[in-house]
Amino acid sequence: MIRYYFSEARFAILLFCLLIVITAILTPSRFSLDNLGTTLGLMTPFILAACAVTPVFLAGREGIDLSVGPLIGFVSVIMVKVMILDLGYTHPALLLPTALGLGGLVGAINGGLAVYLRVQPIVTTLGSYLVLAGLATWILPSPQGPVPAWLSSLSEGYSILPLLGVGLIWFIMKRLHLHGLIMTIGGEDRAAYAAGVNVDLVRFLTYVIGGVFAGVAALSLTGLLGSADAQVGPNYTLFAIAAAALGGVSLAGGKGTLFGAVIGAVDIFLLQNIVTHFNVSSFLLQISYGVILVIAVSLNSDRLTRFFAKGRQDGE
Amino acid sequence: MVNRFFPTSLPPSWPAYAMVLGIFICGALTVEGYTSTFAIRALLVLSAFLIIASAGQTITMLIGGIDLSIPFVVGFANVAVAQLGSDGIAFGWAIVIVMGLSAMVGALNGGLSAILKVHPLIITLGTGTALLGAVLLWTKGYPTGSAPDYINEFVSIGASIGPFPVPWLVPATGVLVVALVLFENKTTLGRQVYALGSNPQAAPYILMNPIKIWVFCFMLSALLASLTGLLLLGFSGAAFADVGRPYLFQTVAAAVIGGTALSGGKGGILGTVAGALALTQLNTILIGIGLDQSAVQVALGALIVLVVAVFNRQPHLRNSI
Repeated sequence: MIRYYFSEARFAILLFCLLIVITAILTPSRFSLDNLGTTLGLMTPFILAACAVTPVFLAGREGIDLSVGPLIGFVSVIMVKVMILDLGYTHPALLLPTALGLGGLVGAINGGLAVYLRVQPIVTTLGSYLVLAGLATWILPSPQGPVPAWLSSLSEGYSILPLLGVGLIWFIMKRLHLHGLIMTIGGEDRAAYAAGVNVDLVRFLTYVIGGVFAGVAALSLTGLLGSADAQVGPNYTLFAIAAAALGGVSLAGGKGTLFGAVIGAVDIFLLQNIVTHFNVSSFLLQISYGVILVIAVSLNSDRLTRFFAKGRQDGE
Repeated sequence: MVNRFFPTSLPPSWPAYAMVLGIFICGALTVEGYTSTFAIRALLVLSAFLIIASAGQTITMLIGGIDLSIPFVVGFANVAVAQLGSDGIAFGWAIVIVMGLSAMVGALNGGLSAILKVHPLIITLGTGTALLGAVLLWTKGYPTGSAPDYINEFVSIGASIGPFPVPWLVPATGVLVVALVLFENKTTLGRQVYALGSNPQAAPYILMNPIKIWVFCFMLSALLASLTGLLLLGFSGAAFADVGRPYLFQTVAAAVIGGTALSGGKGGILGTVAGALALTQLNTILIGIGLDQSAVQVALGALIVLVVAVFNRQPHLRNSI
């Protein structure tokens, strides 16, 4: 089991161990018991965004969801502007279903267009990227708040809850064998189709699940910011894709774990944190981010692994 | 007998060109002054930048890749050429240095992706981010300098060639497109690009070297991106690191609207030209009918999906077994 997780995210895990030690030395206060929730709260939107792009990647055949970032921003804007400010609903029993439902609905539209209408996924989600980013800015041109206290607490003391929620959904998917089907069609969809798997439905569901995860990410981000900001969301897309790839999720499908994507996101967060701590230019942060990304995916390469494995065998 | 010079069937990119014409007619009907000389001239110049950048994207998509480093290379070339020029280096040499560096980044993109078999999306994103970060670090975020007059003249919307009211950029882009179309269809390497994109597994059996082709395609893409950045310097007058930002997704959109598939082996530069013309026109029309920036974004997103849904859907899985 441990070996299974380790194999696909090995570089991300090694990097994580290194970064966590450096962070603990530089800013030990981050890990005190009081701050742990807040530290986790800072990372949660990143982690959940990485989780949101993962299912679609795993299902393969050019599956990609570029709209995750703007979707997070859009859900956040609808929650704050429409639900809280205009309608005055602040109870979690109303806001939670709205966020998850809206995320799932946009995911379903993406999935319907990409899977059933068969528009290339990159085009579908680029289209919804533009639509959602535009709508969010149109509804809420400037950041607005405040948000109810329970939502803010999701980025402080209770920041573990959104992560547990996503973990629970993933666990249920594994129990229902949906996860296994996703990995199967991601690996070889033609064989799965010939074996009678409803490939279209499974692919469609990956978009819906990704959308729901983006909805959870929106809850967490809104709590963290204490307001809704239409400009923040779109930046999350490329970050999330990079985090997933860093964590060993194959962009071609069929390989990778949600756990890997989480570790990848934490890595990038810690890295940014460390570079910021040294107070160097943000451009240096940009360079190190780019270089680490290239090194990480290179080291994750199967071909490289096989090359070294072969070298070891030859040596024996 | 098949006529060699006048093909009897329409080229496969004809729907994209029909669409360009359709959008033009829509524009002429809805936006006042859309068919004026100035408007068409502006349209051609703006499209030319997108065509040059998207041509590189198309080549990388033909082999089943994607190049997300384009916006960063555009910004890099834009800033680096201006800065080198203002540091006292002769402009010709500045161009040689910048293009050389861009080609090296492109070669790195293609080489790493092909040798290690990793997805170019992340590799190109990483190298691009690092490259632009490096040039910003060098200029401390405040690049100085500008393009020499002959480049300004080359791309200026107001310039004309004798009696023709277009700057040299427009015919030069035309020549570039013809050269690239000939490369795609008439050269061995060009045909190998399509062969590799259609069936990467078969490529080694017909003694093709996939790594060589990947390096070449990504180098070409990076060179065209740096050319775009250089020309944009003349167009905007001052260096700006984020000048390439719109090209991140627009180059992909132009290629896909023009009929190029992300999976490789299908499509080509000719379609991308139509895709770029369509995108630029849509943008112009949406602004022309008085929508604000966010509404333009919404409409453009919806139209891109609509256009591809009508003209360029994917085959069903059952047809690929």
